[in-house]
Amino acid sequence: MAIRVLIVDDSGFFRRRLTEIFNADPMIEVVDAAVDGKDAIAKAQTCRPDVITMDIEMPVMNGIDATREIMKVRPVPIIMFSSLTHEGAKATLDALEAGATDFLPKRFDDISNDKAEARHILCSRVKSLAQPARFARTPPPTRPVSTTAASRPGGVTTPPLRQSISPATPKAVTPAAVIKTHRAFNPSEYDLVAIGTSTGGPVALQDVLTQLPATFSLPLLLVQHMPAKFTEAFAARLNQLCKIEVREAKDNDELKPGLALLAPGGMQMRLEKRAGRMRVKITEETDPMQNYKPCVDVTFESVNSSVGKRALGIILTGMGADGREGCNTLKNSGATIWAQDETTSTIYGMPQAVANIAEQILPLKEIGKKLATNT
Amino acid sequence: MAIDLEDEILQDFLVEAGEILELLSEQLVDLEQSPEDADLLNAVFRGFHTVKGGAGFLALDPMVDCCHVCEDVFNVLRNGERAVSSGLMDCVLQGLDSVQNMFAEIQSGIDPTPADPDLLAKLKVYSVPGDNEPEDAASSAASEPVESVAEEASIPESQEVAPRDATDDEFDALLDAMDSETSESSEAPAIDGDEITEDEFEALLDNIHGKGKHGGKPEGTEEDSTPAETGQADSELISDDEFDALLDQMHGKGKGPTATGKADVAASSGGDSELISDDEFDALLDQMHGKGKGPTTGADEDSATSKPAAAKPAAQPTAAKPVAQTKPAPAKPAAPAKPAAETSVRVDTERLDDIMNLVGELVLVRNRLQTLRLNMAEGQITQAITNLDMVTADLQTSVMKTRMQPIKKVFGRFPRVVRDLSRSINKQIKLEMMGEETDLDKNLVEALADPLVHLVRNAVDHGIELPDDREKKGKPREGIVSLAATQEGDHILLTIEDDGAGMDPEVLRRKAVEKGLMDEETAARLDNKECFNLIFMAGFSTKEEISDISGRGVGMDVVKTRITQLNGSLDIDSELGKGSVLTIKVPLTLAILPTLMIALGDYTYALPLANVNEIFELETRKTNVVDGQLMVMVRDKAVPLFYLSKWLLKPGEQAASGDGKGQVIIVSVANRLVGMVTDSVIGQEEVVIKPLGAMLQGLPEFAGSTITGDGGIALIIDVPSLLKARANKGF
Repeated sequence: MAIRVLIVDDSGFFRRRLTEIFNADPMIEVVDAAVDGKDAIAKAQTCRPDVITMDIEMPVMNGIDATREIMKVRPVPIIMFSSLTHEGAKATLDALEAGATDFLPKRFDDISNDKAEARHILCSRVKSLAQPARFARTPPPTRPVSTTAASRPGGVTTPPLRQSISPATPKAVTPAAVIKTHRAFNPSEYDLVAIGTSTGGPVALQDVLTQLPATFSLPLLLVQHMPAKFTEAFAARLNQLCKIEVREAKDNDELKPGLALLAPGGMQMRLEKRAGRMRVKITEETDPMQNYKPCVDVTFESVNSSVGKRALGIILTGMGADGREGCNTLKNSGATIWAQDETTSTIYGMPQAVANIAEQILPLKEIGKKLATNT
Repeated sequence: MAIDLEDEILQDFLVEAGEILELLSEQLVDLEQSPEDADLLNAVFRGFHTVKGGAGFLALDPMVDCCHVCEDVFNVLRNGERAVSSGLMDCVLQGLDSVQNMFAEIQSGIDPTPADPDLLAKLKVYSVPGDNEPEDAASSAASEPVESVAEEASIPESQEVAPRDATDDEFDALLDAMDSETSESSEAPAIDGDEITEDEFEALLDNIHGKGKHGGKPEGTEEDSTPAETGQADSELISDDEFDALLDQMHGKGKGPTATGKADVAASSGGDSELISDDEFDALLDQMHGKGKGPTTGADEDSATSKPAAAKPAAQPTAAKPVAQTKPAPAKPAAPAKPAAETSVRVDTERLDDIMNLVGELVLVRNRLQTLRLNMAEGQITQAITNLDMVTADLQTSVMKTRMQPIKKVFGRFPRVVRDLSRSINKQIKLEMMGEETDLDKNLVEALADPLVHLVRNAVDHGIELPDDREKKGKPREGIVSLAATQEGDHILLTIEDDGAGMDPEVLRRKAVEKGLMDEETAARLDNKECFNLIFMAGFSTKEEISDISGRGVGMDVVKTRITQLNGSLDIDSELGKGSVLTIKVPLTLAILPTLMIALGDYTYALPLANVNEIFELETRKTNVVDGQLMVMVRDKAVPLFYLSKWLLKPGEQAASGDGKGQVIIVSVANRLVGMVTDSVIGQEEVVIKPLGAMLQGLPEFAGSTITGDGGIALIIDVPSLLKARANKGF
């Protein structure tokens, strides 16, 4: 059965373009289009779409308020269309917090230079979001709205989403039931915590980091797949919400306890240890093999070179399998890996890819809680 | 990137963006009235945002850039992080103009030209929270003492901006000085430094003159440049109206090269260089195109392109102005689709025309059947024909409705027109619009656009007084121009009203005599209303100088002609000191014409019903010959009377329609009444106008022909043309 999509945009031009693109895919069917937020809320009820694409700027009611309302009444994966600007980033993060699942640049050229490729990504994103059974018609009452409403930032420079629908791990991995040890977290065993995430990450990271006390004794490195410009706004937002300090990493920033450095979008962040001091190197790389900017693998491998087994690597929700290589390297050095569990992941791709080597597979809420104890 | 006009996606974008841009110019003007209106700020923001989105989709980068920065400005505004200032509005409006120019370029298949980086830079300043203004756009109020200018003279260069505008007064003073005596101009306030050098400006002027067939290089550059010395090497940023004034000088006063020369130097003498802003440049191009050869000639295009290069200083080398930077004509969308509803389909207007024609045919057949029915007693047929009649009428209405567009299409451009005008001539004017939703035929909407623009400009330029004058008369400083549209039966009534000075019938009479349009005696006989209508006569313009504003080459007579061509009528009333009201009456549609069928000898003719005032039986005793002209008395008023038979029938046939009996049809033409005698009146009939074939070209007296209810052919009389051709004088 085709995936039912509701398009929400005040521009008829965009509605028609999106309809054309989606209807060209036999797997997707545009069931209706709404012209503003109010209309969207009404049509989300009547059309029962599997996925909604949502514009942010609209008359009558904007996309953020509409998203909040729809998620309250009838949760459904919502993809926001954002402008890749600072303002756009703020609005998008608001939308993600309101419950949107993912976002894509409104300018399709920003998705990919190749038009056909951009269309393909658009469609596959819709398909992969429609897949998870997380959006059951009635959400499990136990699940707080904020986690239901996780999100996946549109990695602007990330074409490889095709494989992301199914878990990218070649060797299928044991399910989340295999929670290994419930060993307590002991900060003295580690020099730092590195967290990698993608789709759903902004909300998940927020959940984890807001639980940490100001006295958290380890430095953190955060890698969230996100386009340039977005990470700055995202870091600022986290900093506002968290007790620990969060900021977008700049080249040569030194790691400090209780400071979380977020890898800047469009760049790569590497850890360097010299004379006992740990600093980050931020580089703009054009290696076509790097699918993600920032890339979890790149950061995690540098973490391995610097601190080896004294690292705690955490993989949160995300599409694809970025982080698998980095975590494997870390694991081989004796480091600890945690992964978010399937139930609370917006997309159980990246966590699944490391589930087989993870010491602990945890629900989202538990991750922050666990880190917060003993510190 | 090549633009493919065949591309459906592009067309789709053009339709939507066209509507948004049209809306935006309205909203921006509204915004000046209510700068705090959050909804409006949001709407403007979204407007730019949506256009940007579409342009982005099509990779129309220059458009994206310009929309983007405008959007940013409004984002700051809507977040309350900055307040609307007049400088900001100017910039944003220029930004919109720029986007509209690109839009027009895209429409004609040209790659859009990037917006002036200068403008973008200014907008950028406005897009950051705060209350700072870009230095360049600083208010024109500040006029620094001349001494300090000397020190500052070099600063603007380095800052890449010109600090101030010349104030109007200063510029007027400057021009006055120039007119009377060149040397006095040294006293003219010298203002502000900026970008292009005098040489460049002269080159520019040379260019204009080359095209304008005026003289060559102005003389007296040397003496005129004295102010530059005494005024201590300044330069100035001149604004629209000043530039307009300058051009008026050049074109209006200066038929001879020397006079023009002086005026030219007048401008440049204020300083050694000038920065020409977009608007000014537009005005310049308008001038060139309006006056001269038109924009199509290669030469003009060349000069247009070459100028920006000269006009833009080294500081902004990339600021080449777009070639197609002609006037900021509001963009016309390709089709009347509404952005909101998906329930509409786009239909080629030609197809609608075809359908309308077919409906017209159907109407004719119905007419024929109705006539036949009268001769038949058969009940069922009568019933069927009555049904057909109803269905046809409904069909006709529905088809007509598909062609309807709200008059808003035309009205929408007026807020901007009035705003720009009132700013440039320093009047305070409020525009009120009513009945914007009134629908009328698409063709009519388009045909009315130019005449209406002219009339509104006229009301602003000639009607409303300057604020000070108004205050003296005890009126509010702000004048009101109101535009209204209403539907009255099968007509649309448009009124353009101003609360300005009104017209003095005496002045008009005198003028008419002075201009040799009529003799004194005739003029004296005119009543007030007839006097007002004098302004519609060819060659009549009361303002001494033809201003750029209302005098764009078309006079009121042209307006009149256009309205008449639309089977409409035009009327004016005025009260001295109180204001004027112009009333335009046009039919709802051009496709079907209500007519009065008349019989003349063996022939049937159709008179457009719009012209017909009344019909009565001819009574010979009420007619008199005055001054060689047969007149008939209609309620104590003498109306000239003509026998149509004398004009339209061959001498032999005239015998049949004898003198002295028949019907008098009073028609109104150019607000004058004329009686026409015909043998008999058949009745009212709606007809479809069929053009006369190629064989019958050159018969201005007839607007076309039609098929009558009884299957015959009737010629449709074009009353004004008929009178013009046959009656001796005054028409």
